[in-house]
This record gives sequence, structure tokens and C-alpha cells, in this order.
Amino acid sequence: MTFLQLKTKSYFPGVPSVLILAALLAPQLARATSAATAATAATAATAPASAAATAEQPETVCIQCHGSLPDQLGEPVKLWRTSVHADNGISCNACHGGDPKDSAEAMNRARGFLGAPKETEIPAFCGRCHPGIMKDYLGSAHGKMLGQGGPTCVTCHGNHQVVKASLALINEKSCSRCHSFERARAIRDAMQQTESSIVGIDSRITGFQAEGVDTERLGKALFAIRNRFHTLFHEVNVALVKKEATLINAELGKLDAELKVIEESHAKRRVAGGFAVGGALVLALLFHLLRKTFD
Amino acid sequence: MQKESRRKFLGVCLAGATVAAVAATGYPVLGYLAPRSGKVGTGKLVFATGDIPEGEAKFFEYEGSSAVLVKTKAGALLALSAVCTHMGCIVQWEKDKQDFLCPCHAGHYSPDGAVTSGPPPKPLAKIPFSVADGKITVG
Amino acid sequence: MLLKRMYDWIDLRIGAREIVKKELTGYLLPRRINEWYSLGSVLMVIFGLQVVTGMLLLVYYVPDPEKAFKSITFIMNDVPYGWLIRLAHAVGSNMMVAVLLLHMFSVLMMGSYKSPRELNWLTGFILFCLIQGISLTGYLAPWSQLSFWATTVATNSAAAIPVVGPYLVEFMRGGKLVGPPTLGRFFALHVVVLPAVIAALVAAHLFLLKRTGISDPPEGTKESRNPWPAKSYSYQSHPGGIPFFPNYALQDLTSISIYFAVFLGVVFFAPNFLFTPDAFVPANAFQTPAHIKPEWYFLANYQTLKIFPSELLGLSVQVVAMTLLALLPFIDRSPERNPLKRPLFLVLAVGGILVWIGLTIWGHYS
Repeated sequence: MTFLQLKTKSYFPGVPSVLILAALLAPQLARATSAATAATAATAATAPASAAATAEQPETVCIQCHGSLPDQLGEPVKLWRTSVHADNGISCNACHGGDPKDSAEAMNRARGFLGAPKETEIPAFCGRCHPGIMKDYLGSAHGKMLGQGGPTCVTCHGNHQVVKASLALINEKSCSRCHSFERARAIRDAMQQTESSIVGIDSRITGFQAEGVDTERLGKALFAIRNRFHTLFHEVNVALVKKEATLINAELGKLDAELKVIEESHAKRRVAGGFAVGGALVLALLFHLLRKTFD
Repeated sequence: MQKESRRKFLGVCLAGATVAAVAATGYPVLGYLAPRSGKVGTGKLVFATGDIPEGEAKFFEYEGSSAVLVKTKAGALLALSAVCTHMGCIVQWEKDKQDFLCPCHAGHYSPDGAVTSGPPPKPLAKIPFSVADGKITVG
Repeated sequence: MLLKRMYDWIDLRIGAREIVKKELTGYLLPRRINEWYSLGSVLMVIFGLQVVTGMLLLVYYVPDPEKAFKSITFIMNDVPYGWLIRLAHAVGSNMMVAVLLLHMFSVLMMGSYKSPRELNWLTGFILFCLIQGISLTGYLAPWSQLSFWATTVATNSAAAIPVVGPYLVEFMRGGKLVGPPTLGRFFALHVVVLPAVIAALVAAHLFLLKRTGISDPPEGTKESRNPWPAKSYSYQSHPGGIPFFPNYALQDLTSISIYFAVFLGVVFFAPNFLFTPDAFVPANAFQTPAHIKPEWYFLANYQTLKIFPSELLGLSVQVVAMTLLALLPFIDRSPERNPLKRPLFLVLAVGGILVWIGLTIWGHYS
């Protein structure tokens, strides 16, 4: 009966722990909301405390000069900053050649500078790093129309603001520039389900990586499957897409099974955690009650 | 007195809870520190028969410890553990004497692992192997 | 029974019963003592747990830039329960700072820093700085993008000091930029030097506490001024008070258990709450990720540096603030200890805390 006579004053222990929880949870909630407001790398450079940090990272002379030029001379830099190339440290010289450290010689053709490619040179330009895709493209209906009104890489992917490829590139606005959307729609529909599987598995892998799980092998496997899948599009052949998608789905199933194993072990950890936290609370209660018998 | 009996009861509960807590903490720590076998070096190893000339020995790692493949001058091939049975030092092959010598306390073994002199109490353990198509598969 | 005979055997040799009477059952604490007084023992348990988990991590961790990240991946994925030990250590370090701030808060509110307890405050303040230092040095160990660049930002702030600034930065880093020499010295500091100094200071802090005697809580009494005559040394005793053992020891244990409930809750249910994704990407000296920020307890410092146009000014403001905090018992000499009867102090203290919280939140969003 006296168990119920807990004095309110002695609910003080609750106060420190609630404060600790509040103090720790606030940044968590804050982070969840601020995660949506991703800023570009440029904002980090405006703060004096971190300016020194970003200044220590070598920026190519191309960006240093063109970054401050107006209109169409500076526009590519702005576009590039939000690209997947910029995220991976690939600067202008990777495509356009030239010396990225020597401002005087950076645009010297004798030193390897390539300038902007002509329309028919574009596939080879991008194909230096993406040879597989270039091969698929050149063998496709699109590639065969190169230089005769057909699309180049840049037509669909842009040249400086190249983002990670996704099915969103196959859309009515983009494809109907040259022809009707019917066949493109058929291909996109055939790829939709596999694409969403890939995206789903990718986000689970990223989630696990943020928990410290070693996702290198899984990440690499998914990367290979994703590339294999995306090259399908450059073939622009509906029947082929459907056939390959089945094979790819099987591979994805294997990855899914592996991820499920990890998910199960993590669920087990949470159960153990429940017991641990419960146990600690039971201990706290017992110590508290024992203390009360001495007062 | 009511307080006394409550104190005893709580004391017993606490003792039990504390033992459980200690066990729940000790179990993961022991698991963390326990040596892990199996993952390291299991699986078979393959060598080419040409890798080991007559009268020579080749040392390698097998299942986490040192092992040796020896081909005698007579052409006989043997796979043995290279861990001396005396105190665990790794034996060396003496090409001129065609035997194994343990550098720690001068134990000697014949090429087939039998103890010829010195303190080792047992012969060198044999490791199963097979030969086919010019390949030696250990394990 | 056997236990009693063992106790008698020891008592005969070292006078254990006398010690128990003096330090445990006969050590009297004020009747009005509240739960905030138990935060010190919670801190000791946290420190002990950090030492134990740290030692366990040392079994598998390799302090070499080429191998550090992989060794931690190995601990997190391949060593049985490695994830538990690592997370306990990482979460524990954050909890240490949080509980330390609460402990400081209660000391400020109850005026326990006042005479004759100035030395206790000073040792405590030094411990506060050392804990920040051990957290900073430990942060670099995983050699992730977060470790590398947060350390770069943190060590950079010293560059604002006139004349010796840039040299100090190089001295801290062991080179012009964060690199292998930085890991070497930070590891030595984190694993040996700082723990030893912290342990020594904790011992001093406890000795001073025992020697001066525990203070009376200022609330719940009309007379909350404690004019200390300062004529000769005297121990503040509490005749008629409650014994430390078993009464307050049980309170300590209760608080420690509640701490464990919160701590284990975070370890098991919100493990990646304190980690950003950059914590799991190996360090790349040539690519600064966007949004690199220090840990939450340094965000206020970080934001202060961002506000002031001159880094030197930003740094000086912080040095002044910390100095005032360190010298608090010499600045605030009034004997009144009840916070409600110290309006000026309350306004300044609560105001200061709100500013710190505000800067921390701002630092997180900026």
C-alpha cells in the first residue's frame, strides 16, 4: 500500500533524465527536418570557420576562373555544381582535357585541351569514361541517327548539369521533341517495376550504411545490376528490355534476401534492447523502493 | 517488523536482478573477446607440384597456424603441421641434414614428422592432402 | 557464516569496520539532500564504462590511417557484439557531456561553488575542459569523412590567435593539414594522457569534496545564506543526517539505473542518431563534404566563430566567457545560496544558458 505513496518531491530523478532526453532528441528532430533542405557545397564556403577547410581542398583552375565569369561563360559552372560529376570530384578537365592546375596553359590545345565537342563528337567525348553506354547507344536506333537529327548524350542528359540517371529521363516532354511518346512509354512501363525495386534496395542499403553495416559488397553488386539495367534503355528495344528485366529481377531478389537477413538480426537487437532498458528500469524501481525502507 | 521483511524481499529481488544484469553484460563481452576460428584459413589450399623441388620444404598458413609441405630427396611428399609439439615454436627445415630442427630447444624431426632427438613428446601432426594433375590440394 | 568470518579476518588486519563506519554508515549527509547530488556518481560510472569499452575497442582497433576505418568496420560487422561495444563507447561519450552539463547546472543553481568550495569548482571546471578534449581527440579515431573534416574545422579555430596561432594549429595537427601525425598524437592523448589526467583530477575533486564536507541544499529552508567564517579549517558535518550507506548509496544506484535505461535506449533504438552518414565514409583528404559540423556540444563555439566578422574576436569572446565561468566563485562572493534569492545571478545564469542553447540550435541549422 505504501508503494503508492510516492512523494511528488522525489520525482526529481525524472527531471535530469527528461532533460538529458530532451537535449539529445532536439538535434535529432532538427536533423530530420533540415535533411530536406540540402544546400550546395558553396554555402559551406561562406562561413569563416569552415572557409579555411574548403580552401584547403584543391579546386581546378577552370572552376576558379569560370566560376566568377558572367553569363554563358560562367553558366556551366553553376550547372555543374549540382551535378553527379561534381559530387564525385570530376571537374572540367575530365571531359574537356587541359591542365587543371596551370591557369596559363589550361586551355592550350597543345597541352591536351579539347574545347567543346561538335555534335557528332559528343558520344566519343562522354564515351571516354562511359564506353559501355557509348557502344549500346551507337548500336541503337538513336545512335544510328547521330548527325542526322538524332539525339546525342547531351540531348537527354544535359551537358553540365548531369544528374544520376533515372527513369525520369524517359518522359513525354523530352521524347516528343522528335517523335511520338508511344514506344518510349512502353519501355518506361516495362522498366518501372524493376526501377522501383532498385531504388528500394538502394535506400535500404544506404540506411544500413548509416548504421555502420558494411555495405561495400552489397553496394557494388547493386551498382553493377543498376548499370546493367540502365544500359538497356540505350538499346531502345522493347522486347530486349522485357527479357533482361526478368533476369535482373532474379538478381535483385538475391540482394533482397541478404538485406532481409540483416533486417532480422537488427530486429533481434531491438528486442534485446527492450529487455535491457526494461531491466534497467526494474533495477531503478527496486533500488528506489529499498531506499524508501530506510527513510 | 514490516520494514525488515520488505527490505529482505527487495534485497533478494535486487540480488537476482543484479546477477541477471552482470550475466547479460558479461556474455557479450566474452563473445567479443573470444578467439574466432573457422573464418581464417579454412578451405583447401592448392599448390603446383613444381612449386616444391626435391629435398626442399615449403611453409604456408593453414587453418590459422603454420604448416609445411616437404618433398624428400627420394621424391616422397608430406604435409605436416610446422608447430613443434614441445612448446609450440615453429620448426625449420635443414636442407643439408634433410630434417626439421626446432630452434627453441633443438628438437629434431625426420621428414615424416617423427621425433629423432630432443624434448618434443609427440611427432608433428600430419595434414591430409591429395595430388592430382600436377596439383597438390592440402586439406 | 562464511562472509562474516572473511570480514572479521580483514577487519583484524586493516580495521575495515572503522573505515566502513567513517566512510559509509557513519558518513552523514544532510536530511534534505536531493537527487541532483547523485549526478557525480553517475558521471563516475559513465567514465568507468568509457574506460572499459575503450579498452575492449583497443583489442581490435588499429590507429593507422590506412587501417583505422577498416578496423572499425570490422568491429561493427564481424566481431561478435562489436557493434554493441562501439556504440556504447560513442553514445557514452555524448552522455558524459550531457550529464556533466546537468551536474554543472545543479552546482550553479545551488551555489555550491561558493566559499569554501572554490577549489572544487576549479577542479570541476578543468575536468569540463578535459572531457571536451577527450571527446575531440576520440572523434578522430574512426578516420571517417566526419572525423577528418570536423577535426580540421576544430583545429583551425586556433589559427585566429595572434602571433602563435598558425604555429599552434600545426603543433596540434603534427603538420600543416590533418593527417597521419594527427592521428598519432590524438590517439596517444585520447587513450593514455587524458584518461590519466582526468582520473587524477577526479581523485582531487573527490578528496576536496570529502575534506570540506557536502553542502546543504539551499531549498526548503529559510536560512539559505551560509556565511563561512573563514577563520580556520572546519569540516561541514551534518549531525542527525542520513548515512551515506545504505541510504544515499541507494539513491546513487537508482540514478545510475535510470541513466542506464536512457543510455541503453539510445544504444539499442537510436544508434545512428548521433552519427551522420559521413561517419561511415572513409576519410578523403581531397573532398570536403558539404555541411561539416562539429559535435553538438561544440556547436555553440562553432556558431560564435561564425557570427563575429573577425575570428580573433569570436575566439576572444569565448575565452572571456570561459574565464568568467572558471573564476565564478571569486566573482560571486555573496553567501546567499538559494537561487530564488539571487536575482542577478539567476538572470545572468539562465540568460547565459539560453544564449548557449540558442547558439547551439542556430549552429545546427546554419
